[in-house]
Formats: sequence, C-alpha cells, structure tokens
Amino acid sequence: MKNIIMEANNLIKCYDQEYVLNLENIKVYEGAFNFLIGSNGSGKTTLLNILSMVDTDFKGEVIYKGEKIGKEKIDILKLRRKFSVIWQNPYLFKGTVRYNIGLPLRLRKVKKEIIDKKIDKISSELEITNLLNKKHNELSGGERQKASIARALITNPEILFIDEPNNSLDYESAKYFNNLFSKLIQDGITILMITHDLYQIEHYADYITLLDQGKVIKTGLYEEMDI
Amino acid sequence: MNYIFIALRDAFKLIITLDPEVSNVVGTSLKLSLTSTFFAALLGIPLGILISKIEFKGKYLLNTILNTLLSLPTVVLGLFVYSVISRRGIFGEWGLLFTNKGIIIGQVLLILPIVVALVRNAIHDVDEKMYKTAISLGATGSQKFRLLISEARYGIIGALITSYGRVIGEVGVSMMLGGNIKGFTRTITTAIAMETNKGRFSFALALGIILLSISFIINFILYYFQSGESK
Repeated sequence: MKNIIMEANNLIKCYDQEYVLNLENIKVYEGAFNFLIGSNGSGKTTLLNILSMVDTDFKGEVIYKGEKIGKEKIDILKLRRKFSVIWQNPYLFKGTVRYNIGLPLRLRKVKKEIIDKKIDKISSELEITNLLNKKHNELSGGERQKASIARALITNPEILFIDEPNNSLDYESAKYFNNLFSKLIQDGITILMITHDLYQIEHYADYITLLDQGKVIKTGLYEEMDI
Repeated sequence: MNYIFIALRDAFKLIITLDPEVSNVVGTSLKLSLTSTFFAALLGIPLGILISKIEFKGKYLLNTILNTLLSLPTVVLGLFVYSVISRRGIFGEWGLLFTNKGIIIGQVLLILPIVVALVRNAIHDVDEKMYKTAISLGATGSQKFRLLISEARYGIIGALITSYGRVIGEVGVSMMLGGNIKGFTRTITTAIAMETNKGRFSFALALGIILLSISFIINFILYYFQSGESK
C-alpha cells in the first residue's frame, strides 16, 4: 500500500441547489496511477477540478501531505502550483507551442534562460521539438495534446491530473500517451486520471475510485476490486 | 471633363509640394483623431471589459443601447453636444464651443460606443476554457486578467483602429463643434465641404485623396490584425 498524498473529506458541490458531488472520502496515493471512473455525469470532472484546486467553490476539507488546505488565496495558489492538469480538449493560448510550454514558468516568474533550457529539455524528451515554432492553430488534435502535456510537465508537478486525454486521439497517439504516463509513474509522479478506457485501467491502474451520482461507490487497489 | 484632370493634377501638386494649408488641415485632423481615440480607449476598454464580464440588471438594455449608438448620426451627436457646450448650455461657461477641446469631446462620445462594443465582443469571444486553463497553470488574479487581454488583443486593437477610421472621416461633429476655423479647428472633412462650395476643387480633391489614403492605411492595418486573429 502506497502513502496517501492527498485526501478529501465530506466534499459537497452543488449547482442550482442540486448535488453534483456529495462524497465522504477520497484518497489519492503517492507515486501511483489513480483512476477515477464512472458514468457520464457521475461527478468525475467536478471532483478533478476540486482536487486540482481549479475549483475552490466547494464545501468540505482537502488534506495535502497531512496538512489541511486553507481557503486563503495564497494557500490555494501555492498548492495549485504544485499540480498540473491535462484537459480533455486542451486550450492553447494564442502564440507558438514554445510560448505555451513556457507559460506556467513565466507565471512563476522563472528567468528566461532557465525557461528556454527547460522547454528544450521537455520538448526533446517528448519528441516535439519540431512543433516548437508552430502556432496554436496549426496543430492537429494529437499535437495540441502533446503541447499541453509538455506545458503540464515543465513545472515538475507533484500530482498530474488528467481528464480523459485519449478521447479524441488516434491509436498511435493514445499508445504514446499511455507509455508516457507509465514512465512518469516510474519517475515518482502521482497521477489521478479520469478514463473510460478499459485497456488503460487493466494495464496501468494501481488504485481505482468508482463514482456514481456524486458518491464514491467503490475504491481501493485495482487487484482487490471486482469491477 | 477636362477640369477633373486639371484639378487632379493640381491636387497632386499640392500634396507633393506639401502645401502649408493642406499640411495644416491634415495635421489638425490627425492630431484630433488620435487624441479622441486615445481618450475613447482610456474609457472604452475598461467599460467593454466590465460589460462583458459582469452580470447585472439591465445589461440587455445597455447592450441594445450600445448597439444603437454604433450608428449614431454625427450631426445628431454634434447637435446634442452643441446644446450642452454652447453659451446657453450647462457647460457654456467653459468656452468649449469652436475649440479643439469641443471637437475632441464630441468625437470621444461618437466613438466611445464603438470601442466599448467591439472590446466587449473581443473579450466575449475568448474561449471559456482559457480561464480554467490559466487557473490550472498557476496564474494569479492579475496574471489571469493579463492573459485575457492578451488573448483578446487583436480584437481590442481592431476596435481602436476602427474607431480611428470612423473619427477621421466624420464631418458633423467637427463642423458643428469646431466651427471650421482656418488654422485652428479646420479638419480634412470640414475643409473639403467648404472648399468645394467655394470652388477650390483641386484643394478639396487633394484633401480627399489624402483622406482616402489614410482610410486605406487604416484598413490595411485593420486587416493585418484581423488576419492575425486567424493565424
């Protein structure tokens, strides 16, 4: 059993006085591939938004590395900057891939020389150096996703939140991403991923949480679960 | 028919020799239009952003009024401002009528709705996913705002260029509030109207060619930024 890096208790999220999330407890395990599964509308993306601190308008407590997260803006920003999110349909800002990949570091006021070095390193690792000077609207779906992954990884996040990255990708690109995520786990990064892909779950899952109507139905080690 | 060619020849001569009177009129027009656009931008950009981002009661009505004001006839606006700044108006004591300040006030009011409406549209057109992405990348509140402006930059620049184009070609406000005083409040458009009536056709034509050239340059720049949007 791996260590718990993040935990949330009594999470409640409502839209128009209707519960979209109402769960007692969820755990994210360190250095592991944590999967969030469930039918459409079960609250997976809402939960991912909350745990990644993108959405802070919720009730309940979030504990990160044993410390309860306050609702102060500075606490939330500090924590948010330890995470990265890869969205299902990534948004790239107007500009080149190089501009987009370096953006999170510029927001953290990192020096330009360091940013340039890191961009070169990550693009070389992800084999996307040929995309660096392409503009945001000159990319295919797979290329956009690759650029957004490089942008997410350049900050060396402690947790990588991923929302169904393979949804609109071809077989080769999907395989590429699966191998990449698997390598990241070996490097010690924690991943929490939403997926509907049974192949992914079967081959990569360490822990699984099954959601339904905003509640946790089942959770635990993949091998011990009957799903 | 021959008089047109003669007038054209004389007009180009006036332009090429940088005739002092032509230069003065063009200089006044450029200066007034630039000043008006600057002040309209100063007021209009924040207003456009606010209207786009903030929900409030009466927003629909405000947007409708804003859209109506886009096609406001310049003489109607000129008349309105005239009634306010003429000697009998509430700001009559300030002596703004037939001054450059008076023209600038009128022109700012003329293009303010254009700046506000186009900036509002530019901000509104930014994909909602931008906000979520900016937050997830670790942007602070002010960084998020800067990213929003950066994403809408082509639209905002387009709004300013469109406004400049509108204001440099208007005649109603300049005529009614400026009084067409030679060497002082005479602009390209008011000069064209007057000189044509006086029979100085080549002089008016020279100014017409210059105005058309300015309009071409403005549209050239506008098209550059609009195509930048899709690049």
